Formats: sequence, structure tokens, C-alpha cells
Amino acid sequence: MKIVITGGKHEADYIVSKLKKEHHHLIVINQDRDFAEYISANNDIDVFPGDPTKAYVLSDAEGQNADVLLALSDSDTDNYITCITAKKLFNVKRTVAKVKNPKNVELFKRLGIDSVISSTYLLAQTILNESSVENIIKTLSIEDEKIVMLEIGVEEDFSIVNKRLMDIEFPSNINISCIFRDPHVIIPKGDTLIKADDKLIIITTPNDQDEIVEYIQKRK
Amino acid sequence: MKRNKFIVIGSGRLGSNIATSMSELGEDVIIIDAQDDSFRKLQESFSGYQVVGDATDLTILENSYIKHAKTVVITTDSDNVNIYLAHICFYVYNVPKIFVRLSDTDKGKLLEGTTIKAIYPFNLSYSEFMDLNVGEEDK
Repeated sequence: MKIVITGGKHEADYIVSKLKKEHHHLIVINQDRDFAEYISANNDIDVFPGDPTKAYVLSDAEGQNADVLLALSDSDTDNYITCITAKKLFNVKRTVAKVKNPKNVELFKRLGIDSVISSTYLLAQTILNESSVENIIKTLSIEDEKIVMLEIGVEEDFSIVNKRLMDIEFPSNINISCIFRDPHVIIPKGDTLIKADDKLIIITTPNDQDEIVEYIQKRK
Repeated sequence: MKRNKFIVIGSGRLGSNIATSMSELGEDVIIIDAQDDSFRKLQESFSGYQVVGDATDLTILENSYIKHAKTVVITTDSDNVNIYLAHICFYVYNVPKIFVRLSDTDKGKLLEGTTIKAIYPFNLSYSEFMDLNVGEEDK
């Protein structure tokens, strides 16, 4: 693949060293002359010193028709201009911009940048995912831990959504004792449909617990 | 939605003079600049609103009634910022009339496929020189 890497400091250096091992055709552009020399010496590669938001720099570096361009500078605006220039004028297939302001993730995508990376945005997503994992399963052991009660939140892309209980091939030793569908509490029968956002209260044994959680959380 | 605002981004010499003139002509003008003291360049006859803030932050744009803009004139001192803002006004807020000042004539290519109009001080100065020079040689 032909990959253009513009701007950035240590992240550029790291990505260059990783990609170089995989024998991609790399074009590196860096406006900071000292850092351009550092990356060049560190990775035994030519680095074009120049401002990648200027069309002639991309042209001199022969970035046209690249498969991917990564814009890693500290300025969100400059990264946008680099990506749009690459796309509109140099037929670069995929553009990736780093942004500092997490609000720019959605905006840049809307303006035509293929991928937008914000470390703050990723961090927030990770925290959200982590906390939802914690919310999904609450367990309670009874009778000297021979019986466990699980509470699992159903998400809309689970494969069991919109199926009748009798049609789902559950693993053994499971009893769905109760479905909490805000504000109702349902004691399920075979023909009860499972819906997104349901909370399932399940009775099982500690040995079967992992298999059951995995089964219920299977996604479509 | 009524589009009746005339928004100027960048209160430099050009931006502040356009804002003052349009205000005198009765337009509902809002001028945005990151620096408070840039508004000193506005004339006394200016009767619009001043917003201090970075226009590349969508919150600032929305607080400046960008959704109600009929015209936006973009004159910050960075071509990259100007094009970025012009794209946001065009693609996100569908502003009917957008004018943008660009120092680098090459950057104008990024406006192709839009109705954004560019103003190039270089081209204006250059043609003014050519005209003046021809005038001199006729004498």
C-alpha cells in the first residue's frame, strides 16, 4: 500500500516504524525540520520537510493516488485541509485525521474525512463500554453459591432479540425467572418475546454461568 | 426558518470595514473574532453584535445564529481556517451566500463544486498594478 503520513511527532515516528516493517510504500511529510530529520534518521527513510496543507508539497512528495493519508499535526484545522486537499486534488483513496477536539469527530466525518481519531473520544467510548459491561451483569449467589442469580441487560443487536423463549436454544440449566421491561415485571412463558432493553433475571448454577452469559450476549 | 443575519468572521481591517458598511446599510450584522481588542477597528456607526470566540468551535458559530445566516464573510488571517469555516458554512449549515478571503490562489481549488466565492487580494493587487502601469505608459 502507498501510505502518506503528514505531521505529528512521536506518533508519526511510531507509525512509520511499524508500517515500515510491513514493507508499505511510505511517504513522510513533516513541517518541523528538526523532527523531520529525527524521523528520517531513526527509520532510515526520506522525510519531506514542508507544510502538507499546501498542494505543491503533496505534489512534490508524489502523494497522488495514495491508498491512505494520515494527518497527525496538532492543528485540527490543518489536518482537515490536508485530508481534503489529498482527496479532492490528489485522488487519495482514504484519509485519516487526528483531532484534539472530540467534537470534531462527527463534524469531520460529515465533511468527508473517512476516519477521524480523537484520543479523548476513544477514551470516552472505552469508559462508556466499560461501564456498560459492569451494568450488564449483576450476580447474586444463594444457597452457599450453588445457585446464582444473574441480571443481564438485553441490547438491540443481541441475536435473541424479538424471539420467543420457546424458539431459543438456550444452554442447559437455565431458568429465566423474570423479565423486567420498564415499568412492567413479566413472569415469562414459552411464547414471551424478548425485546431490546429488557432485563433478564436468570437462575442458574455457577458452572453454567459463563456459557449462559456468552450465549445471551451473542450478537446478530 | 428566517435567514436574515449577516455574519462576518475575523475582525481585521477587511472584516471590520465590511461589518461596519453592511451595518450602515441596515443589515443585521454579527461579527466574530477570537480577540476582544480586534473589535476596536469597528467604526462608531456599527450597530451589530460582537462575539468573542474561536469560530472553528461549532458552539460559537451556533450561538452567533449561523443557522439564520443569509451571508457569511470569512476573513481570518489563516487560509486553512477560512476554507475550513467556509466548508462548514456550506456543507453543514447550507448558508446561501459565502465569501472567503484567500491569500494563496492555489487554495481556491478546494472550493470547486461549491457556491463559495473567493476574494484574492493577490489577484486584485496584480490587476490593479497592470492597470496602473498601462495608464502610466499611455502618457
